[in-house]
Amino acid sequence: MTRFILRRLLSTALVLLVVTFVLYMLLNVALDFFWDLRSSTSPNIAALYESRRRLLDLDTPAIVRYFKWLAGVGGCVVGQCDFGIAWKSGQEVTSQLQGAIANTVKLITASTLVAIVLGIAVGMVSAIRQYSGFDYFITFVSFLLYSLPVFWVAVLLKQYGAIDINNFINDPTVTSWVPIIIVCLAMGLFWMGALGGGGKRRLITFVAASVITFATIYYILASGWMQQPSIGIIGVIVIGAGAAVVMTFLSTGLKNKRVLYATLTMAVIGALLYMPLQYLFYYQDMSWLWMLGLLIVTVLVAIGVGFAFRGPDPWDTVRTTFFTGLIIAVLIFADRVLQGWTEYSEDPAINNRPIATIGASAPNIDGDFWITNLDTFTHLLLPSIALILISFASYTRYTRGSMLEVMGQDYIRTARAKGLNERTVVMRHALRNALLPLASIIPVDIITMIGGAVITETIFGWNGMGKLFIDSMRQSELDPIMAYILITGLLAIIANLVADFLYAVLDPRIRVNA
Amino acid sequence: MSTNNDNQKLLALDETGDNAIEAKETEGLSQGRIVFRKFLRHKGAMISIVVFALVAIFAFSAQGVGPIPGWWIYSHTASGPVTNPGGSPTWSFSNFFSLGEHPFGQDEIGRDNFARVMKGTQISIIVMLIIGGVSLVIGTLVGALAGYYRGWLDSALMRVTDGFIILPVIVVGSILGKLVGGSNGPMLGLVLGGILWTGLARLVRGDFMSLREREFVDSARVAGAGDFRIMFKHMLPNAMGVIIVNTTLLMSQAIVLEASLSYLGFGIQAPGISLGQLISEYQTSFATRPWLFWWPGLFIIIIALCVNFIGDGLRDAFDPRMKTIPSWRKMKKAERMTQKEAK
Amino acid sequence: MTDTTTTAKSPILEVTDLGVKFWVNDEWWMAAEDLNYTVNAGEVLAIVGESGSGKSQSSMSLLGLLPSNGRATGSAKMAGTELIGMASERMQRIRGNEISVIFQEPMTALNPVYTAGFQIVETLRVHLDIGPTEAKERALELMRLVEIPDPEERFHSFPHQLSGGQRQRIMIAQALACQPKLLIADEPTTALDVTVQAEILKLMRELKHKLDAGIILITHDMGVVADMADRMIVMKAGRVVEAGTADEIFYNPQHPYTRQLLEAVPHLGTAIEGEAFGADVADIADSAAVHEAHEGDAAADSRAREAVEAAQPASLPQAPGITMDSTETYYHPGSQADFSQPAALQLRDAAIEYPSIGRKKAFRAAHHINLMVAPGEVVGLVGESGSGKTTIGRAALGLLPTVEGDMVVNGKSIKGLSNKQMRPLRKEVGIVFQDPGSSLNPRLPVGESIGEPLYLHEKMKGPELSKRVEDLLTAVELPTSMRNRYPHELSGGQRQRIGIARALTLRPKLLIADEPTSALDVSVQAKVLDLFEGLQHEYGFACLFISHDLAVIERIASRIAVMRHGYLVEIGKSSQVVSNPVHPYTKRLLSAVPVPDPREQRKRREARDAVLEATANA
Repeated sequence: MTRFILRRLLSTALVLLVVTFVLYMLLNVALDFFWDLRSSTSPNIAALYESRRRLLDLDTPAIVRYFKWLAGVGGCVVGQCDFGIAWKSGQEVTSQLQGAIANTVKLITASTLVAIVLGIAVGMVSAIRQYSGFDYFITFVSFLLYSLPVFWVAVLLKQYGAIDINNFINDPTVTSWVPIIIVCLAMGLFWMGALGGGGKRRLITFVAASVITFATIYYILASGWMQQPSIGIIGVIVIGAGAAVVMTFLSTGLKNKRVLYATLTMAVIGALLYMPLQYLFYYQDMSWLWMLGLLIVTVLVAIGVGFAFRGPDPWDTVRTTFFTGLIIAVLIFADRVLQGWTEYSEDPAINNRPIATIGASAPNIDGDFWITNLDTFTHLLLPSIALILISFASYTRYTRGSMLEVMGQDYIRTARAKGLNERTVVMRHALRNALLPLASIIPVDIITMIGGAVITETIFGWNGMGKLFIDSMRQSELDPIMAYILITGLLAIIANLVADFLYAVLDPRIRVNA
Repeated sequence: MSTNNDNQKLLALDETGDNAIEAKETEGLSQGRIVFRKFLRHKGAMISIVVFALVAIFAFSAQGVGPIPGWWIYSHTASGPVTNPGGSPTWSFSNFFSLGEHPFGQDEIGRDNFARVMKGTQISIIVMLIIGGVSLVIGTLVGALAGYYRGWLDSALMRVTDGFIILPVIVVGSILGKLVGGSNGPMLGLVLGGILWTGLARLVRGDFMSLREREFVDSARVAGAGDFRIMFKHMLPNAMGVIIVNTTLLMSQAIVLEASLSYLGFGIQAPGISLGQLISEYQTSFATRPWLFWWPGLFIIIIALCVNFIGDGLRDAFDPRMKTIPSWRKMKKAERMTQKEAK
Repeated sequence: MTDTTTTAKSPILEVTDLGVKFWVNDEWWMAAEDLNYTVNAGEVLAIVGESGSGKSQSSMSLLGLLPSNGRATGSAKMAGTELIGMASERMQRIRGNEISVIFQEPMTALNPVYTAGFQIVETLRVHLDIGPTEAKERALELMRLVEIPDPEERFHSFPHQLSGGQRQRIMIAQALACQPKLLIADEPTTALDVTVQAEILKLMRELKHKLDAGIILITHDMGVVADMADRMIVMKAGRVVEAGTADEIFYNPQHPYTRQLLEAVPHLGTAIEGEAFGADVADIADSAAVHEAHEGDAAADSRAREAVEAAQPASLPQAPGITMDSTETYYHPGSQADFSQPAALQLRDAAIEYPSIGRKKAFRAAHHINLMVAPGEVVGLVGESGSGKTTIGRAALGLLPTVEGDMVVNGKSIKGLSNKQMRPLRKEVGIVFQDPGSSLNPRLPVGESIGEPLYLHEKMKGPELSKRVEDLLTAVELPTSMRNRYPHELSGGQRQRIGIARALTLRPKLLIADEPTSALDVSVQAKVLDLFEGLQHEYGFACLFISHDLAVIERIASRIAVMRHGYLVEIGKSSQVVSNPVHPYTKRLLSAVPVPDPREQRKRREARDAVLEATANA
């Protein structure tokens, strides 16, 4: 296995090298290094041309220049990177890259994770309800998402997702209840389709989902939640308990009381620790290191609770408490971040328009750990949504297809013939197998994401690799483009590696035989 | 990929009477007609075909092709007086419904938006078809050779494919677009076709690899057929499903790609025209003249959506495992009827 | 559990008017109807029928395991509880607990991502309130019960790490986990090799006595029925045509369909006078005597004689002479390869490899094969999966390379020939493949498939070609109008006739028949074999007939060659091999074949169990 991966790694690296060479040659033809001088009427134009030629070393043949570039990049191995310079701005490419890589990775990781989780969940339900209204609806939506040009969606998001919502936050008057009621009914239909069941159960689901949606929207509007969003201890308790029940249902089924009590204990611990944590957050400056520490504590507590309740299957219990604990931890974190909302919103740099449309962070904002994070999240929101929309569709379609294939297999029939209930058949026997082929599309999708990021970053002014690429293309700056190609290529290789690894973890036929 | 093969196995092993059901459904029809019949039953695909045909007919006839003039009075280049304030669309519900002079509105210098969107649609469709055609040829050829000969040729071709896959198409597309772009649509199509074939090649390769293990290939070889004949007479028709379906799906990707590149400024640029170029040109006027932004976007979505649905219909039609979608409602009804009769 | 002899004959399951239908193309399609039967404790009821007879679906309906477009009607009562239409919650408690199922294909019926042990434990823990440790112990116990070697180790094995027989044992262990009252075995041995099948059948018999469960055995194999069944019902096109005890139906079939079915089944040992090896243990000694008597007029070849002498003691039951793993070929008198004679096919110490592809290493599938097929002779090549029998057939066609020794087809060596050089030689060789569905190009009308060799080799076109194609169709007893049909429109038997017609197009001197009938139903198989024999007489081609089914081979071939693990272990006249096998593997193979005759099979069974025992550890 290791040998196989190493060999793959080496061959892909060679391919990447060849690709950089070919593109270097092409770029030399495609880019016009004198575009800004073409219309110049300056009297010393010839000298300007000459100095540009010298600056970019254009008298050296392109092939030689490529190897010079390669030598500079090769310096990274000994810690002396030289990616060249962006001639228009005169900046070192290395310094340009620093923030850009982190920003892009942040954007893509966030979007990919959300897209995978949502896509798998929706795809799975769609497959189980094959040929139902819900299935047709999801199919249509995913095709629609496939067909949406990212740049078009991004412009719409800017208008309706940021400008209009910001306006609404500043002036929250509801002009008409009709769209809200339509949304409520649509949610009712959605959940009815997703949960299925007999006629009576469907009706109950429909009514319940509509009413809950309406109540939520009404609460949000009536309480001014939009102006001062928070979760609060009540929210932590309610959502925590909900998470406990849902996780238990998905993981072992609600019949397993022991696990249910374990997860509910987690919810109680979360609620009890809420106030003490607020003191901690107040008196102690936080950092990501602290967060990591708290996360580890959470995990330990979850494992502890899991073992305390262990029962006959300690690992099932631990797994369930672990995920419940994670959800509660994120919940408390989100609550604390939202507490800074008013302060953030009223900051002159934000000027009561909290949902950002441009950049990766607001300039001139100063605040503590929480405010900076809130700032990052508000900026991350729209570009992530734009990216998620594209790849959510493909994960949904793939999961649906592979799930349908697996559900037709003999071993699913065996599982049913054993007397397993439908939840176990789907979650334990079908899903695990359906995820296998998915592992192989993740790298492909990540590369697509990187491509999508080129557009989203450009539109949302997100200072990432994609924007760097497009800006450099427009400025005909060769070196940053080459740096982009090399680094995204490497990212793609890493993504492939991760997928291989995932595959090996999931599939014993590969893991055991190697 | 090995769907045919699996299906055969299923048929051979399945004692469940599926065999008989299958036979009953396909009695007296050639493979092609079965596929066609299944395709006709796919409602989404049928609607899409009609819509797509209408869009294409409109786009080509309204602005004309080459020297042939179209029926729409305005051309996409000529500016004129602005009819409505700001150039907003002129259709209204006066007299029940009237289109007016400029149903899609006008831009700030008075060019007719309908003419521009139709022309853009025309170019975008042409580029899409060229990309599809080029990808089809390269992808099929590479995939067939790699899958048939395997060994070193396969390795070499797959490394080439990897080289194209390692970077997002939009990145390579931008570079190549910068090289050949401008106002030359067909040329852009050719170049983009040259980078979009990789997925198809991989699928065709997989299909050929499994077809190669099928006995009819050995059977043809024993009958004295050479490599060329085996590949193109025997295997290719059996891989047609994969090829047609994926070329279709690839074309929906192609139209979005072309639009994105044109939007970024590396595809078709003014004075050339395409749907993506229109959005790029008008994006800043979204707040003031939203119709200039909405219409081209809408047409991109309609075309891509139609092509996607057609591809989906084709996939279902070619997939031997896809049984015709049963109508549960009719089944329930029939069930109730028999229950009533029993009482 | 085992001492409930008084209730042994009480019915566990009573089925009345059971029907199964499917919703296809907006109408109900009947898969089975009017089924009436009972299953008693400790009894095996066999449901026999060919494909499409509805035997499998009707049994699945008992557990509510029909596909979503299937519906069951009628009644099936288990201890007074109605199973048809039961709510799914309750049904889940019955599945695996009171009724369990053994499926046909153990490879696909076990979940590939979980260990064998886990899958048994899962069944136990769904129905019984026990902890993981206890469940594991119970699972290991079950694995011991089904005689899996090293249960502790196998417990942690994934399905792909187990052999086919072991997988089926896991399947059985899982089915027996909760001591079900009723066991549905859906073609439990069809996917297995014959010796593995024998082991599984033996196991199931033993378990039947131990567990006192009722068993519904669904199968198409009359041999298996004769071996296992107490009572049986015969189904055709969804209806029961005959029901009764196994003896009644085998010895006194009433319905014409049953009679036809029984006649169609090839019966090992019919081609020779007397009974095949393994009829009972005494016979083995007898046949050894026969062998000795014949030994005098054995051929002069010294090598063969040596071999015969070496093999003589081996023909006794526990003879030590040839060990199970011996890779030497035993030549029965008269069958040693004499390469001075003209032959349609000669393999001289040939070794055949699957060439390496990319990084996959080359795999040698046949070693040191000496084999000769005389002109006009039919030689049967028998072996289990992975024995290399198909490899030899493919190498004879030049589809696989002969890497050592020599391969001579119709007097010309084909070793090392390129594809192009092979082409003219291919005129003289034909092949019939196993799966007629796969060997005909689905996108070509069958007429075109048949005519292709003529077009390619003799540049024949137009009406002349049509004429020849029509002649060939007539020769294989198909209407000439079929030439414009596509393969999927034809039945399995028709497709195989087309396959044969195509192989004979150029009147080859040598025909390779690679399991030509194993994908067919018995009654179709019988007709195709008849046709094949007729054509062989008429055309006079030599034939290498490859099959895993000894009864078929015995019927069709004049000599039989037995392969194991890539080596030719025994070759001789059909009568010699069938009545007097020498290599322990051949004995094992022969004794494992169930014959469609309950009484004879009862005798054979004991011999079989003895032979299996004696050769088990090899």
